[in-house]
Formats: sequence, C-alpha cells, structure tokens
Amino acid sequence: MSAVTLSSVSRWYGDVVAVNDVTMTIGPGITGLLGPNGAGKSTLISMMAGFLAPSAGTVELDGRAVWRHEDAYRHIGIVPETEAAYDVVTGATFVLANARLHGLADAAAAARRAIELVDMAAAADREIGTYSKGMKQRIKMASALVHDPAVLLLDEPFNGMDPRQRLHLMDLLTRLGTEGRTVLFSSHILEEVEEIAGTIEVVVAGRHAASGDFREIRRLMTERPHQYTVSSSDDRALAAAVVAEGAASAVELGETLRVQSSDQGRFVHVLPRLARDGGIRLFSVSPADESLESVFAYLVTR
Amino acid sequence: MTVPRETGAIHDIGYRHYTGPRLGVPYIARSLTLHSLRGAFGLGRATRSKVVPFLLLAAMVVPAFVIAMVVVLGGADELPLEYTSYAVRLGAVVTIFVAAQSPQAVSRDLRFRLVALYFARPISRATYVRSKLIAMSAALFAFLTAPLVVLYVGALLGELDVWDNTVGFLKGVAGAAMFAVVLASVGLAIAAWTPRRGIGVAAIVTVLTLLGGISAIVAGVAADQDEDTLSGWAGLISPVSVVDGVQVWLLDSSAAVVAGPPGEWGGPAFALAAVVLVASCYLLLMRRYRAVTDA
Amino acid sequence: MNSTIASLTLRTLLGRRRAWLLLVLPLALLVLSVILRLTIGEEDRNDAAVAVLGSFGIATVVPLLALIAGTGALAGEIDDGSIVYLLSKPISRHVIVTTKLAVSGAVVTVFGAVPVFLAGLVLVGGADRLAIAYGLGALVAGVTYCAAFLLLSVVTRNAVVVGLVYALVWEAGVGNVLPGAQALSIQQWSLAVTRSIVGADRAEALELTAAVRPQVAVVLLVVVLVGATYLAGRRLRSLRVTFAA
Repeated sequence: MSAVTLSSVSRWYGDVVAVNDVTMTIGPGITGLLGPNGAGKSTLISMMAGFLAPSAGTVELDGRAVWRHEDAYRHIGIVPETEAAYDVVTGATFVLANARLHGLADAAAAARRAIELVDMAAAADREIGTYSKGMKQRIKMASALVHDPAVLLLDEPFNGMDPRQRLHLMDLLTRLGTEGRTVLFSSHILEEVEEIAGTIEVVVAGRHAASGDFREIRRLMTERPHQYTVSSSDDRALAAAVVAEGAASAVELGETLRVQSSDQGRFVHVLPRLARDGGIRLFSVSPADESLESVFAYLVTR
Repeated sequence: MTVPRETGAIHDIGYRHYTGPRLGVPYIARSLTLHSLRGAFGLGRATRSKVVPFLLLAAMVVPAFVIAMVVVLGGADELPLEYTSYAVRLGAVVTIFVAAQSPQAVSRDLRFRLVALYFARPISRATYVRSKLIAMSAALFAFLTAPLVVLYVGALLGELDVWDNTVGFLKGVAGAAMFAVVLASVGLAIAAWTPRRGIGVAAIVTVLTLLGGISAIVAGVAADQDEDTLSGWAGLISPVSVVDGVQVWLLDSSAAVVAGPPGEWGGPAFALAAVVLVASCYLLLMRRYRAVTDA
Repeated sequence: MNSTIASLTLRTLLGRRRAWLLLVLPLALLVLSVILRLTIGEEDRNDAAVAVLGSFGIATVVPLLALIAGTGALAGEIDDGSIVYLLSKPISRHVIVTTKLAVSGAVVTVFGAVPVFLAGLVLVGGADRLAIAYGLGALVAGVTYCAAFLLLSVVTRNAVVVGLVYALVWEAGVGNVLPGAQALSIQQWSLAVTRSIVGADRAEALELTAAVRPQVAVVLLVVVLVGATYLAGRRLRSLRVTFAA
C-alpha cells in the first residue's frame, strides 16, 4: 500500500505556470487525473515519476521525495506517452531488458509473466516496429509491470486505442487496482475516467479544481442548480404543481419536462408526492447533468 | 405508434467550399523555399535553433573582421588573402554550418512524417527538392558572402586599391555562389539519407572532412615528391577543392589548396566534376523522395 | 558497469547507419596508408607517417569517431525521449554514464586506435616506435573525447554541433591563432603522450610537436576524463524528462 503525496506543488517555466499550488494524495486503487489538454496533467505525472523537480512544494512517495531518488523506481512503474524508438527490438527482448535493468533475480520469468499479464504472449517475438499502437502501449505496460511495482503511473494510456483494446486495458487496470496497487492514469476523455476510476482528480489550467467521487464533486457544487429530465403522463400539470410547491427554480416544457431545482433533496422527495396527488404517471426521472461530462464542463468554464 | 426510420441526410450546416483564386504551384514553391531558407538560420523558430547558425556565422565573420581591422589600423597595402580563398581557409566552419543546418531542412520533415503532407498538396517531388536546394544554397551563399563584405568594407576603409579589391570581391562572390550550390547539394543529399538529425550531422561532417583530409594529404605528399600533376588532380577528391579548382580556372584566382587543377584540361575537368557532383546529388534526392512512406 | 545497458548501447552504436560511418573512417585511413606506402620512398615515410597518423589520425579520424560514438551513446536517446526507460530504473546515474563511456570508448578504440596503430605498421613498420606511439595516443585521445562528448550530450541538445566546433574549429583552427588555446586541447595532450613514447630526440627530428609536457598532458587527460564522467552523472540525475503534451 503506497501513496504518492503532493504538497503545495507548483511548477513554472519562466513566466508560464504549468502547475499551480496543487495538493493531493494518490492512494491505493485507481485514480483518474482528468483535465483538458494543457492543464498540466503530464507535468504532474512527470513530477510524480521523479523526472521533473517541482519549483515549489514536495512530491513524495511514502514520505520520501522522488526527485533524485533512484531507488524509488523499485516501487514505481511508469508508462510514458513517448513513442519508444526501439523499433528493431522484439517485444520480449524489450521487456526482458527492462526486467534486467531492474536487477530482478529471475528476469526471464518476470518478463514472461508481465507479457502474459498484458496478453501479448503471441506477438512478443515480433519487432516492436511491427506493432500497432495498442500493442505498443501494452508492451510498455508490460515493461512497467515487470518489477511488480506498488505504484503505476500512466500518461494518457488510452490514446489512440480502439474500443476492444481499451476494454482490455480497463480490465487490466481494474485488476491491478483491486490488488491494492496505486494506479494513476491521466486522460482528457471523460468516459474512460468515469468507467474505472474510483477517485478523480480534476486539473484545470494548472489548478487542482476538484477531487473525489464525481457524484460527490457534483454535490459539492450547490451553486449550480441540479437539472432533472422528467417525462410523465401530464407534463403541464406536473410542472404547475412543482412550481406551486416551490421545489423548483425553473421549469421548461418541451418534449419532456425539464426541471431546475436548487435544493436537490427537497425536489426528489416532493416529486413522487406531487405526482401521486395529481394522478400523474411518472415514466422517467433522470438527472440531466450528473454525468462527469457536465461536472467537467462546469469546472472548465468556471 | 412506431416512428418511421429516417434515412440519413446531410443538411446545409454552413460549410463553404473555397471558390476564390488559388495561388498555384509557383507560390507554394516560393513559400517552401523562403520557409526553408529562414529555417536554415533558425528564423521563425524557437530561440534555441537560432543559437547554432548565428554562432557559426559569427565564427565565420569575426576573422574577416579582425583582418579588416588589421588592414585599416595597420596600414597594409593589400589584404593578406584573396577573397576567393576565404571559404577554403575557414573550411571547418563552413563544413560545420552545412552539416548542422542541412538536416534542419530535410531531416525534420522525414522524422515527423511531414513529407507525406507536403506531397498531398499540388507540389511535385521535383518542386520540393528544388525548393530545398535553392533555399540551402541561398543560405550558404549568405553565409559565405557576409565575411567577404566585411573584408571589402575594410579594404575600402583602409584605402586599398579600389579596382583590385572590387574585382576581387566580385570574384569572391561568384566563388561563394559556386561553393554554396555544391556544398548545399552534397549536404542535403547526405542529410536526406537519415531522419535522425544527429546522425545526419555526423555523416555530413565525416564525409566532407574525410574527403578534404584525404585530398590534402595526397596532394601534400605528391607535392613533396615533386609530382605536381598528381598533386593537382588530388583536388578532385574533395568537393571543396573541386570548387576551388573551378575558381582557379574560371576566375583566375590562386589556389587555396595545395595545388590548382593541372595542365590545360584541369580546369574544364574540375568544372565538369562540379556539375556532375551537383547533378548526382539532385538525382539522389529525387530518388530518395520517390518512396515517401519510407522513414 | 551494467551489462544490460552495455549491450543496449552497443546495439545502438552498431546500428546500420552509424556502423557505416564508424567503418568508413578507419577504412579511409588504412587505404590511404597503403597507397602512401606503395608510392613513397623509404626515406620520406617517417615524415608521411607523422602527417597521416597525427594530423589525419589523431586530429580528424579519432575526434570524429568519438563524436559519433560518444553522442550516439546518449544524445540520441535523450533526443527522442527513450532515455525514460533507462532513467526509470533504480540504477545510479553514474553507473549509466560510466557504462556508456566504457562502451563508446571500446568502440572508438576498435575503430580508431587500432586502425591508427595498423596504419602506422603499414607505413613504417616498427620504426621509431611510431605505430605504437600513435596508437596509444589515439587510444587516450579517443577515450577522453568520448567522456567530453558524453558530458556534452547531457548538457545540451546540440551536443553534436558543439563537439564539432570544439574538435574541428577550436583544436584545429583557433589553436593556430591563439597559442594559449593549444594548451587546452585534447589533441595536443595525446600528441604529448605520443611524443614521450617516441622519445624527445626522434620527435624533434620528425617535427612531432606537442603544446605541453607529457606529465602535464597525462594529468590533464585524467582530469578531463574523470571530471567529465562525474559531471555527466550528476547532470543526468537532474535531467528534465517531460512526457509529450
């Protein structure tokens, strides 16, 4: 069980601030680092990987700084986004070389295990230059897992993968997370993060915008009203009842009834009672903006 | 009630085709040439890529500046070296400039697979190659002429013979043009061989320095043995001495290398060699870009 | 010394394109020596040897080889970002640098010092111990150049060009203009070593000169070799590796 801790970390390049006073703790399980391009996700991961020194603040792994601390790499596996130039080496050789570089006792066995873990056993004897993008990612993952690290850092791992490879990788990451490893991956694609990340850290323009379960984040942002989409047997009557009750700040009648409520708890309790009292059948009630999409969009435009 | 499935239809979403005038291939060629020329000096790119070319330019011009100072302040009668010999004397700096900047022109496009993008436009292989060659030659020409200008101004300020120096300067400029074309061709042909910049630089330097060194040694040893004809022909080994030979023949300058082209047929032979060299490099480049997907 | 890094580096250095460049230089040297041997009379051979082995061998071939090997061992990986795989391992950066130095030094010795020695044998046989003297001079020069170029690779993205300017302009050109500069030249230091093996009197007769005394030269060579390696290791610890985008 390892944790990566960032305390008041900032990173600037001359006049440009890439990361601005970020404090977060990445614990066991899967954490998704979410943010638009240029938000500083790669910079954060570089710092966590010990490849970049913070201009201010500290980046620590289990209490010890990662910068200039080579031994930390025994416990960290890194899957960078860079295209490796090792095109003429076979996948098996590449993973084996990485295993040896880690100084593993039985490098060959570890390499084989790692390759099987990422389901690349069939293609392992081909040159990396012949691999598709997804296969290259998987070989990189194998090389990052070969020493059984407690922490796994992935920079935009789903970039350029087709749906099937994505599912496979999500599966793999979920398994690793359940084993108790600390897995952090960055992405700007919401569906990916939504599906497997238990915790989400949102980074926007270098600032740490939000963290936690995305529903929790949503609940924290009580300033913006919650929106619900309701379809019923009599939208107009229901709308009138809701407004009269005072449970909504706005209603919109169209194909369906859209209700904007600023006090979520009340609306959810009030609605069934109003429907029953008015003899209206409720067909569907769904929150219109509970998805990460809207959370994210809201945070970005803020 | 079932809603009938609608077939897909594209509506007018405001996309407009460009129907205005298009500037055509000559404009593309001009733009590409200008862009490559500026890139050879790092203009239009990050500051970091300006350091090397301007540093080399300084290294090229400073000696000329020093000579000019000496002439002006020391009151000499004439310049200590001919305008046409300057490029050869500072051959090391010139070689490094060609080696460092030729890959800037072609290797980047190959490495980042931009060549395919270029050829998706109405630009032919020949246009691309010619634009790069013209750009690199122009850059080298500027590089080689700058010190000559400094020398000329120094000579004028030092009140040396105006006619002699003007003629000498013009000869130097003509020679610079020849050096520029030959060296640019060789540099680009070698640089296009590999998408990796570091190897390209090393390859160009290796080839030019090796050929120059071998030529110098053979010529020197032959001269020691009183084999002056052989000493002269040894000049054909290195592109720099080939151009110097042409200078000797066409511009009536004195050889900057060990010996000039020998005999009656030496001059024309060297000129022919220069032309053949440029032509072969051009053909090599054309062949190189035939298979664009090759990295 | 890490054997995995060593074999990876060796594989990179002897990759197809670089291998060509590494071969062409000693080949040219040897072919030249053979031609000269066949064409020059016996009495001039020693002088020719000094010219060929000295100005061509140590002054041109060896620095170029060291440049190709020294920058190839590290600069390429830093340039395309694959150094990440090497740096993300619990291996001391100093070990990385010394291993790469050992490999590139060995390559330069095989492709540079040995051919210089052989060229000397071809030209003058065992006369005046010239062959072995230049061979050893080329060896120390090659290894020291490699250390210097490895340091350059870590310090700047333009390692190849800076190395070239040093080897071809500073050592060759500036040295002639500013006598003081000669004392700061790896080439001169190795020539001093060569001189001491040949013996001062014979060296005088052959016009084999060096800018510093052999003892000073050896000290300077060791200082640069060790210093550059150590500094390179230190800089590598702080190397900024940023992931794309």
